[in-house]
Amino acid sequence: MDALSNLLLGFSVALTPVNLFWCLVGVILGTMVGVLPGLGPAATIAMLLPLTLKMDHTTAIIALAGIFYGARYGGSTTSILLNIPGESSSVVTCLDGYQMARKGRAGAALGISAIASFIAGTVGVLGLMLIAPPLARFALRFAPPEYFALMVLGLAMVVFLAGESMVKALLAMLIGLWIATIGTDLFTAESRFTFGQTKLLGGVDFIAATVGIFAIGEVLVNLESQGGAEIFKIAKGLRNLLPTLQDLKDCRFAFLNGSIVGFFVGALPGAGATVASFMSYGIEKAFSRHPEKFGTGVIEGVAAPEGANNADAGGALVPLLTLGIPGGNTTAILLGGLILWGYKPGPLLIQEHPELFWGLVASMYIGNVLLLVLNLPLVPLFAQILRLPYYVLYPLIVGISIVGVYSVNNSLFDVWMMGFFGLLGYLMRKLDFPAAALILGMVLGDSLERALRQSLMMSQGDLMILVNRPISATLLLIAAMILCLPAARKVRSWRVEAIERES
Amino acid sequence: MKYRAMGLPMIIAVLLSFTFNRAWSQEFKPSKQIETVVHTGPGGGSDLFARAIAELLQKEKLISQRMQVVNKSGGGSAVAMSYLAEKKGETHTIGFFTGVWVTNPLTTAEATVTMKDLTPIVRLVLEPAVIAVKADSPYKTMKDFIEAAKKSPNQLRQSGGSVTSRDNLMRMLIQKATGTQWTFISFPSGGERLSNLLGGHVQLMVIEPQEAGEQIRAGNLRVIASLTEKRLASLANVPTIKEQGIDVPLIPQARGVVAPPAAPREEVQYWEGVFDRFAKTASWKQYVEQNQFEDGYLKGPALSKFFDDLTVQMRDVLKEAGAKVVR
Repeated sequence: MDALSNLLLGFSVALTPVNLFWCLVGVILGTMVGVLPGLGPAATIAMLLPLTLKMDHTTAIIALAGIFYGARYGGSTTSILLNIPGESSSVVTCLDGYQMARKGRAGAALGISAIASFIAGTVGVLGLMLIAPPLARFALRFAPPEYFALMVLGLAMVVFLAGESMVKALLAMLIGLWIATIGTDLFTAESRFTFGQTKLLGGVDFIAATVGIFAIGEVLVNLESQGGAEIFKIAKGLRNLLPTLQDLKDCRFAFLNGSIVGFFVGALPGAGATVASFMSYGIEKAFSRHPEKFGTGVIEGVAAPEGANNADAGGALVPLLTLGIPGGNTTAILLGGLILWGYKPGPLLIQEHPELFWGLVASMYIGNVLLLVLNLPLVPLFAQILRLPYYVLYPLIVGISIVGVYSVNNSLFDVWMMGFFGLLGYLMRKLDFPAAALILGMVLGDSLERALRQSLMMSQGDLMILVNRPISATLLLIAAMILCLPAARKVRSWRVEAIERES
Repeated sequence: MKYRAMGLPMIIAVLLSFTFNRAWSQEFKPSKQIETVVHTGPGGGSDLFARAIAELLQKEKLISQRMQVVNKSGGGSAVAMSYLAEKKGETHTIGFFTGVWVTNPLTTAEATVTMKDLTPIVRLVLEPAVIAVKADSPYKTMKDFIEAAKKSPNQLRQSGGSVTSRDNLMRMLIQKATGTQWTFISFPSGGERLSNLLGGHVQLMVIEPQEAGEQIRAGNLRVIASLTEKRLASLANVPTIKEQGIDVPLIPQARGVVAPPAAPREEVQYWEGVFDRFAKTASWKQYVEQNQFEDGYLKGPALSKFFDDLTVQMRDVLKEAGAKVVR
């Protein structure tokens, strides 16, 4: 029973017409869910769960998993075209993706995100197939101190999100960290910064905040500028609508980086795709030969995070299928589905139901190909949206944002929050504060604080627990090195100046 | 005489059937989709439970309208409960409660809606819990663990949910009964709680038998006590905590259905009828068994009393546990 014969078994399951059909249905639905902001894969799968009861169980999980990873493909579309993050894991894609669209390279950005998604998605499945059990065991070594170090490493990425001023970036990040504290404190059940509002007990909705800051803020800024006449340059001809060979070459490292970071972060039950996409963006910029251009529309800045959030889907299935442990909302629903269908998800699932696991793995290879074939032709079509005159486009952006944010919790309060964050986003742009740094603080704040407090509970308040464990020590060391980078660059530029002055 | 004797009951019968008919025509029957409120996001315990019940009710053809699950997560159960309170007078909205709906308003000042405000309909299940350790840990019984905890106070650790969760309250009660102390670490998701136990970062966890079942079978976990009155059928060789000489009150984890405040009598009767029939179906019994729940069917005044008693019990336990009780 080696991987190859198992995979053949898997393909014999996945290639039956019924399974092929439902795989296609799943990925199409997933793409649609991803494109529409708000409605996420978790809610969609939950809604469709009853329909699967009459299906063959392997067919059912093939279809539902298709929605799960298909949504990661679609998430980039509105991020790139309209600066509206389609899914929370596509927030980082806005940074360079939207700038590319403004420069008339929307097609290239959409195309590269489909290609990166395909490559990383496939690597994710490969990882799931080959190293799932040992990886799951490794992931169990991650306790709160390791998560704390991972989140610190994530926060260190703020260095790469800063524009002109590091101080402004740090300030924005701190505001983000503060926003993350709003709501009920898990450890004491006390409410923090809720101003007596029941609706704030659950914290600030992440989608409402990001859509506000990115989409609404952008619209407000553009409205101000000279009637906003010509914002988007539209490339003519189909050739310019897809990434060039040079683009692909530029993204070689990004594909690799996104795949690996996404897969490993995805396999940790306490992290998530948003963390993975921020990390891979930071790594991409750290190793780039032109880091100063990030944020102005470089193609690697799209490829890395989009790859990461797709590889994450494969990674997230590792603890679910090998241990029966869900890492997030969507995998929790898949777990619920497995139980409902009569399986007992746990460490023995793969061994006792090889056709389920290998059928799913094989279907994910097929699904990723289907998604690529499906998404590439859509690129020129989607890019046409930008031909709309601004008096159509802006109301469209605002409309999609409102509907999307409302649909997450059916909450009008969230729509007001989006409006508030829109104003904040506008002010931040005017004052040149990097919005991405604030979002980074918001994403990580919750986990960071939690992991720190959990660690200190473990050690009875002894801070040494953070540095005397090998994994967390390594991660913290890398974070420290990243934080020193700007200083190192400054010193180098001083030296260069000094040498120049002397000569 | 005979005719008369027959006639009177006939007339009464006819009259009665009239009144019944009128009562019939006034009987409540959902005329549109039923909004079903849960306090967790998609994939949370309450969400999955509500979706499963909705599915089974439909499968058994006990309801004519679709149940649409609406996720109102946030603030424990506060957001969902205040949403239900706002729906006063709406007969097509119901909610799925858990024990959190009783404890949360006790500790959260902002959570102004309590179970007293809502209309109880039915309690469906009680979720049993067990105490699990890693399979290779030295603790074979509760006594082993308690002794170890006595030897090195606060050095042992338990993973669990929020401080007001049953996990933590049971810990508080056991600590008090045995004069020991160990640390409780909160994790928001069940996945993290379990992976920290499997990874050996914590030594103990209060877990539902269904969640532990597969880990036990795979040889990853060992159950050292059940937090139930009687031994569980699926874990017949595991003694209850009381059998092991630790006499603590057991906190029930209930799940069931409530309606918005002051729901009309007819609506309550309709749902009671639906669930009466439902509780007798084979698919319900199978669901209860599959998830290793205890059938906790209860309605009417008995259910109101259950909520009242539970509120009093939880207030005491929370105070004892040192939590801030606000009402």
